[in-house]
Amino acid sequence: MKFMELVRRFFLIDLLEGMWVTFRHQRPKDLVTEQYPMQRPEISDRFRGQPRLLKDENGKLLCTACGSCALACPEKLIKVGSLRDPETKKKVLTEFDFDLSRCMFCGLCEEACPAGAIKLSPDFELALYTREGMQLDRKTLEQGIERKAYDR
Amino acid sequence: MIQGILQYLHSNVTPGEAGNLFWEVVYVLLVFAGISVGVIFMNWFERKVMAHMQVRIGPMRVGPHGLLQPIADALKLIIKEDLMPANADKIVFWFAPVCVVMTAFCGFIVVPFGRTHAITDMNIGVLFMLGVSSLGVLGVIMAGWASNSHYPLMGSLRSGAQMVSYEIAMSMAVVSAVMMTSMATGTGTLSMIGIVQAQMQQRMWFAFSFFPVGLTALGVFAIAMVAETNRAPFDLPEAESELVAGFLTEYSGFRWSLFFLAEYASMMAVSAIASTLWLGGWLRPFPNFLSGRAWEAAFSVVPGLTFLALAALCLFYFTRMPRIRAMRADAIGLAAFGGVLGLVGIVMLLPGVRERIQDIYWFTLKTGFFMYLYIWYRTTFPRYRFDQLMKIGWKVLLPISIGVVVLTALIGVRHELLALVWR
Amino acid sequence: MSDNQFYDSLEEVEPGHTFLDSNEMVLNMGPQHPSTHGVLRVILKLDGEKVNGIECVIGYLHRGIEKLAEHRTWAQFAPFVDRLDYTAAVSNNLGYCLAVEKLLGVEVPKRAQYLRVIVTELCRLASHQVWLGTHVLDIGAVTPLFYAFRDREAILNVFEKYCGARLTTHSFRIGGCRYDAYPGFAQEVLHICEDLGPKIDEYRDLITGNRIWLQRTKNVGHISAEDCIAYGITGPVLRGSGVQWDVRKAQPYSSYEDFEFDIPIGSAGDTFDRYLVRIEEMRQSIRIIRQAVEGLMEGPIIARVPKVIKPPVGEVYHSIEAPKGELGYFLVSDGTTQPYRVRVRPPSFINLQALQKMATGSLVADVVAIIGTLDIVLGEVDR
Repeated sequence: MKFMELVRRFFLIDLLEGMWVTFRHQRPKDLVTEQYPMQRPEISDRFRGQPRLLKDENGKLLCTACGSCALACPEKLIKVGSLRDPETKKKVLTEFDFDLSRCMFCGLCEEACPAGAIKLSPDFELALYTREGMQLDRKTLEQGIERKAYDR
Repeated sequence: MIQGILQYLHSNVTPGEAGNLFWEVVYVLLVFAGISVGVIFMNWFERKVMAHMQVRIGPMRVGPHGLLQPIADALKLIIKEDLMPANADKIVFWFAPVCVVMTAFCGFIVVPFGRTHAITDMNIGVLFMLGVSSLGVLGVIMAGWASNSHYPLMGSLRSGAQMVSYEIAMSMAVVSAVMMTSMATGTGTLSMIGIVQAQMQQRMWFAFSFFPVGLTALGVFAIAMVAETNRAPFDLPEAESELVAGFLTEYSGFRWSLFFLAEYASMMAVSAIASTLWLGGWLRPFPNFLSGRAWEAAFSVVPGLTFLALAALCLFYFTRMPRIRAMRADAIGLAAFGGVLGLVGIVMLLPGVRERIQDIYWFTLKTGFFMYLYIWYRTTFPRYRFDQLMKIGWKVLLPISIGVVVLTALIGVRHELLALVWR
Repeated sequence: MSDNQFYDSLEEVEPGHTFLDSNEMVLNMGPQHPSTHGVLRVILKLDGEKVNGIECVIGYLHRGIEKLAEHRTWAQFAPFVDRLDYTAAVSNNLGYCLAVEKLLGVEVPKRAQYLRVIVTELCRLASHQVWLGTHVLDIGAVTPLFYAFRDREAILNVFEKYCGARLTTHSFRIGGCRYDAYPGFAQEVLHICEDLGPKIDEYRDLITGNRIWLQRTKNVGHISAEDCIAYGITGPVLRGSGVQWDVRKAQPYSSYEDFEFDIPIGSAGDTFDRYLVRIEEMRQSIRIIRQAVEGLMEGPIIARVPKVIKPPVGEVYHSIEAPKGELGYFLVSDGTTQPYRVRVRPPSFINLQALQKMATGSLVADVVAIIGTLDIVLGEVDR
């Protein structure tokens, strides 16, 4: 056993074993780089990305302007503006301001919403060129942020 | 004069030996261009190989598969601002990278790419190469001194100390190889071409002769040459620029690229020494055992086939390029590159070129093998601490290399010794 | 103390002599540094290559998280806790939720406890992968970083599918888990366990037996068991010195008592032993995950917790075994919806004390190795 140990030390067997490990990782199927933006990752449904205001199947906004999301948000970056409709006596949403620059995508707003109206969609490509662009208003939240899609 | 130029083409000596100035200059330019292309290729190759070993792909965007990356890097370095520290010694600061580059390139004067393909063949070839690479240490120390800053000075002194200590082990290993040249004929030679011819004569590459002495000498040299060129796992002065900045800190832009060029050139120089001394230089595998016209012909198509295989690889990747408009230029570039490689391969298969290109091809292949080893070491091994590094140089490699020299000497006089013993 | 006074105090020059007479040099391993795992400033007093004195300056990443807690509700504070030890966000979340549940006196359902164990142990694996990659990178080997991060990708993908984020997960809620296991959760987790075993063996081939690694880590950064206990050091650093203390075994929480696993203990208290302890911890985590997935039973995933959480007046301390050490939360409630005080016992902050003991007397190149072996995350040190 001692002799084998000496042989191992002299012939640098441990170093050669390490070299073999790095060498065999060169197989093309082992290379894991994803060449973004030509290959985009698969995002799960639960991913907490860009906030969106959802509509029902008739195209009417699900939001009831209750303000639960504004209360739930740790950063107090949601501002919900509403009017009370004189006929139905229900609140109607007028403004919905979301400050994306301070959002930490925690998901507490979508948990708090009783109507399931605000959802953090699986969209992670949120880079913008202006700071003002990060103050999302109701229209942007409904339609999504407009960006240029890059393919290379 | 034209007759003098044309006359050389039929000789079988190097231009230096023939005293032919024109061809010497041509060879100098060719070697210079060759080293530069080699450095550029090494930059790309290192990044790609390191990346593949690290389960990622390397540069892919600058050209098709990153082939134009070295050119982009070179361009960036050239147009960078040239800073000089305030109280630096201007002349020494200017001269240090020049010194390192010159010594790295000068070593290639005696490197034989073939029997007649060397700039000249000095009869002290190996000694010249070792001496010139020792001068590189001077450049490193000058760089640290001229930076007028505490940390580069310390870094350069450490780097210099490391290079000097490993040079001794390197030289001992070289001495052992030189002694082996005298085994058959009784007279040894320091000339690089002579060493390869001795290997041819003894019908055995020195790496495998008198196993394991030759292999140990090669092993010692292979480790010492990595330390000599400040590469992993001995790159503490260079990469510990985390803590104590290496001697390169104050150099930016083109001056830094000169150091970088010199590093790769000296890597190629010591790889060339290793492949000449132990792996048979320009000899093809088994020149004696597999001799004869059939084998000659078989081996002579190998260079052409290699290039054709590379061209096929390029075209294979061309078919796998994404078919989007933005990648069109890249795809065409890759196909063109594959086409050029294929053309070179076909030219190498022509009967006139086949025989001449053999030597250069096998030599480049062996040197390339050592360069691949460099990249492999860098990817795999952690760094040695400086005191451990010096300990290995002085306490481990030096005794082993002296032992190898003594053993080689004993093997050299074995007949006399046996005669003495048997009486 | 101003910077000048600070440097003066380090130099301790004798009267009548100037700084240039002394052998020693003060070197600043500044906040921006590739090897300090964040913004840590280490001031070294060097005699050539030997470290005579060492001083850490922290606070570059202080974000006032504990102060912010006083102005958020109990549930709103949970996402902030992820940002402490950002490589192991799930553990932080678990610790906080367990502490609040202790304060409320809420019993978490069994299924939720098992789910929590699975996700937390996956997080431990992920955190140890980061440690492995960066520690080995500091010592010089560049490849294991990429292998470790490649293996970590699978775990982060599971996190993304489970709770919606890869790094700052906010995976648990007070009272249980918000999300149930998605379809395919069990298969994917078991797949990770199977894949990771051979990969850990690969690390052994590449690193553990390597003579350069052994020379760089054996007898480097030694700390004795008594010193560890005296400083209050916990986690793999403590276990590497030979003390058998793991909060999962000593004070089990969240059904850890149902699982069978060993605690790796080192003997020499040097960097190599701590490395082996963490590698073995990865294997034991795989064991726990397998048992938890097989034992996952049906049931509710969250207890009945009121929508507006108002714990009774009181204070509680609860600690868990985070990948870095013993992570504790001390919560003081004054009966309102917002905590009166949240104090985090950060393992990295307390482990960092050992740096002075370990690094004094060693060489400069070892300081980098020692910072790596302590496995500090500046988010936790500075909060």
